[in-house]
Order: sequence, then C-alpha cells, then structure tokens
Amino acid sequence: MLTIEGLKKSYAGNDILKGISIDVNKGDVISIIGPSGSGKTTLLRTMTTLEEADGGHITFSGIDKDFEKLTGKEVNTIRRNVGFVFQNYNLFNNKTALQNITEGLIVARKVKKSEAEKIALKALERVGLTDRKNHYPSQLSGGQQQRVGIARAIALNPEVIFFDEPTSALDPELVGEVLKVMQDLASSGTTMVVVTHQMSFARDVSNRVIFMADGHIVEQGAPKAIFEKPSEQRTKKFLTDILANV
Amino acid sequence: MSLNTDFMVKVAQTAIQGVPVTLQIVLVALVISFPIGILFALIRIYRVKVLQRVVQFYVSLVRGTPIIAQILIVYSALPSLLNMIIGRAAFAINPIYYAYIVFTLNAIATLTEVFRSALQTVDKGQMEAGLMVGMQPRQTFWRIILPQALISALPNIANTTLYLIKNSSLAFIMSVKDITAIAKTEAAFNYNFLEAYLVVWVYYLIICYAAEVVFYLLERYFSKYRRPIKKTSGFNWLPFRIKQPKLERKQS
Ligand SMILES: Nc1ncnc2c1ncn2[C@@H]1O[C@H](COP(=O)(O)OP(=O)(O)OP(=O)(O)O)[C@@H](O)[C@H]1O
Ligand SMILES: [Mg+2]
Repeated sequence: MLTIEGLKKSYAGNDILKGISIDVNKGDVISIIGPSGSGKTTLLRTMTTLEEADGGHITFSGIDKDFEKLTGKEVNTIRRNVGFVFQNYNLFNNKTALQNITEGLIVARKVKKSEAEKIALKALERVGLTDRKNHYPSQLSGGQQQRVGIARAIALNPEVIFFDEPTSALDPELVGEVLKVMQDLASSGTTMVVVTHQMSFARDVSNRVIFMADGHIVEQGAPKAIFEKPSEQRTKKFLTDILANV
Repeated sequence: MSLNTDFMVKVAQTAIQGVPVTLQIVLVALVISFPIGILFALIRIYRVKVLQRVVQFYVSLVRGTPIIAQILIVYSALPSLLNMIIGRAAFAINPIYYAYIVFTLNAIATLTEVFRSALQTVDKGQMEAGLMVGMQPRQTFWRIILPQALISALPNIANTTLYLIKNSSLAFIMSVKDITAIAKTEAAFNYNFLEAYLVVWVYYLIICYAAEVVFYLLERYFSKYRRPIKKTSGFNWLPFRIKQPKLERKQS
C-alpha cells in the first residue's frame, strides 16, 4: 500500500537517512525503534512530506514517483492520505477538542459542518473524551491532548497513521491511557507506523519491528524474532541496554 | 498662584471639539497600518527577495528618526510636491490628511515589528499539524497561526495605540485642529497656559484610559483558550491606586 525505496536525507552535509526502504501493507502495525539521533523522526517527516527528501521513491495512493519530482498536487494527495500524531501533540491551541478534529474535515475535506461534528464526536468517543469536547488544549492533560491528537488523525480516515513517539512527552502515569487507545486502533485494523521507545508496545502490539541505527535499517522482522533472537549485534546491544533500564 | 477654573471649564468645552479629530487620526492610522503591518511582517519572516530589504530599510528609517522630524518632513515636502502635480489646490487640502499619512507611516513600522515577533511566537508545529490534516499552508495561516499571533500581539498593539494617541498631539504642528491645538490657541489668547495644558492632560488621560480598558476587554475575551490566568491579575481599574495595598494581618 505504501512503499518507500532508497529514501535519503541530509542536513547541511550530514547524511541522516542513508537509503531507507520500507514496505507498509494494509493493516500493518509497524514499530520503529532505535537509538536517539538515528533518524527515526526524520524518516517519518520525509515520508509524509513534512520535510523534503533528497532522494528516494514513493509508491502510495496512485503515486509512483521519485520524491524530488512530486508535484504540489501529489504532495497534497500524500498529505491527505496520511495521518500524523506528534510527539508534543501539536493540537491547534485556539480550537477546542472538537474543533481540532472538525477543522481538517471542514476546511480540507469540505465536509459539511454538521456532518464533520458527527464524525468528530465519534472519534472523540473512540478515545474516551466525549465529555472534554469543548475544552481547549490548555485545559487538557498531556494524555488527553494526545488522545485528541489521535482522534484528529483517525477522523480523517487516512490510509496510514504515523506516530512519532506519541507517549514520550507524557508523565509516566499518563502513558497507559494513550497506549490503550493505540492498542484499540491496532486491533481494529488501522494501519500504523509507530516510532516508539515503549518496548512493550513494539513487542506485544505491532506485527513488525524495524530497528534503525545511524540512518540505516539494521534489521526488521516479527517482534518475536527481533526481541528473542536478533541476528545483528547492534540490535542485541540496543535491546539489552534499553530493557535493562525498564 | 490660583487656577482660573472658569477658564478651565471654557477650554474644556472648546477643546472637546478636538477629541473626534484626535480619535480620527488614531483610528485611521491603526486601520490602515494593521493589514499592511501583517503583510510587511510576513515579507520579513519569509525573507521575500528584495522586498524584505525594502521593508527592513523602511522600518529602521521610521524607528530611527524622531516623529517630529517625520512630521516636519512630510508637512514641508508633501504640499509643495502636490502643488507641482495638482497646482494651487494642494494648499486647500485639509491638513488632517497629512496627519493621517505621517501617523499611518509611523504605525506601519511599529506594527510590522509587533506582528513579526508575534507570528514568531506561534510554534511551527501548528503549521505542520495543519498540513497533516490536509489543509493548505494559506488556510492554516489564516485559521490557526494568525489568530494566535494576533492575540499574543494584543498587549503590544495596545502599546502602539497608546503611543499613537499621545503622539497625535504633535499634529498641531501641521495646523490640525486637535485637542492640543485648540487648547494652545485658547491659552495663547488668554495667557492662561497652565490651565489649558491641564485640560489637555486630563483629556489624554481619559482617552488613554478608555483605550486601555478596551484592550483589556479584548484580551480577556480572546484569551479564553489560554490557560486560565490567575484571578488576581485582572485589570487595574483605577489609574492610581487609591487604597493602600492590604498588609497581611495575623488572625489572632
Ligand atoms: N532540522 C534539522 N536540521 C539539522 N539537523 C537535524 C534536523 N533535524 C534532525 N537533525 C539531525 O538529524 C539526526 C537525526 O534526528 P532525528 O530527530 O531524526 O532522530 P531520532 O531517531 O528521531 O532521535 P530521537 O529518538 O532522539 O527522537 C540528529 O543527529 C539531528 O541532530
Ligand atoms: Mg525523534
């Protein structure tokens, strides 16, 4: 459904992504793990056109092209068919929880306001925040804000939703409520690509784990294989280190 | 020394005719400079070729010169310039138009800087979130970024307005009949300068106070989405503190 080949990105001469290829199938829940600075955020941002790639090919929703050759219209198509959940939520500060969700529906999708509100309420219900619909982001806890962020993404019914460390800005006691929502999404068949430091999520919820280091995909496979018998030394070391800290 | 209160009442009655003039200058300057200020701020933020240089030069030109010099230049250059174009009719132009020009040009420079810093306080994640729900950059700017920037700019817009009100008193130099000009004429006529200037002083105080109240209410209304501000930090309704601040008193 979404295929990326040879994706490259550098900042000021520093190669951050050194040719990444990823295949996302419908219903996949892919966890991307790896040390800090390995390029995980950059990968999600280039794949979703938030950042311009320096090279690589994308096949997605009728587009089959090199990144550099994408037209404005094709960039729009990509943006319209992906959802993005940000590490620091990025809710629209001047909009209520409900308006955060209806905004994209009304403005970008041209859905009627009453219809958009119906969809938004359904999305809020899925993340358990119906009673907070008229709250502004500043009046919500971090966990609630992130759940609105997720509701905003699912309301648009994108083909795939990208999550960039959705729980790492949260106080530990709020991580659970967000993970629970993500787990529900996964089991309802939503296609998800999740950058995460939550090894429990990678192991128990996703169907594929990608280990990234230094701008490369070092290894990928079923969670069982990666966590129990990683074939690369770097994967082994990363997992031992991170699991030792849990 | 005693104040001639009868004269003060008389000046107050005459000078009040200058109040609409003062307000007109301020409002015209604000209304015109507002959109232009936003446009100029955007030119600077997005570093639009050539134009950004022009804006930058313009802003430093205005900010680096005293307003009195700007008034004198506009007032001595414009009429003779117009005279060359439209002939003698140039000297029949109501001088208030020159005041509009000077104060608008001045406010544009101030507001450009106000909007530039306000727009930069809006997190870039807001734009990215807009793009990721499929909105165009333009739509995200109008619906998400600009409203937030304007609200955070309100205190500085209030400041700009107060300066405008006070600076507009210099319009008398261009023989505009505003509050100051009328009071000055009365004063010179009757040799009661202090009384006349006290009246001027009170009028500006009232106008500025009213402007402050308006901006406080605007800010309170539009900031509803922000984290509730501490209740105690409301508006200081009295221009002077009459009551002494309460000292903590031990209950015993
Ligand atoms: N806008 C930028 N300009 C310059 N360098 C950047 C930029 N964004 C990222 N980098 C660099 O790219 C590298 C990869 O960053 P990235 O944020 O993708 O890592 P990450 O894997 O997401 O790390 P973390 O786990 O800490 O979030 C880092 O060395 C970072 O300094
Ligand atoms: Mg990251």
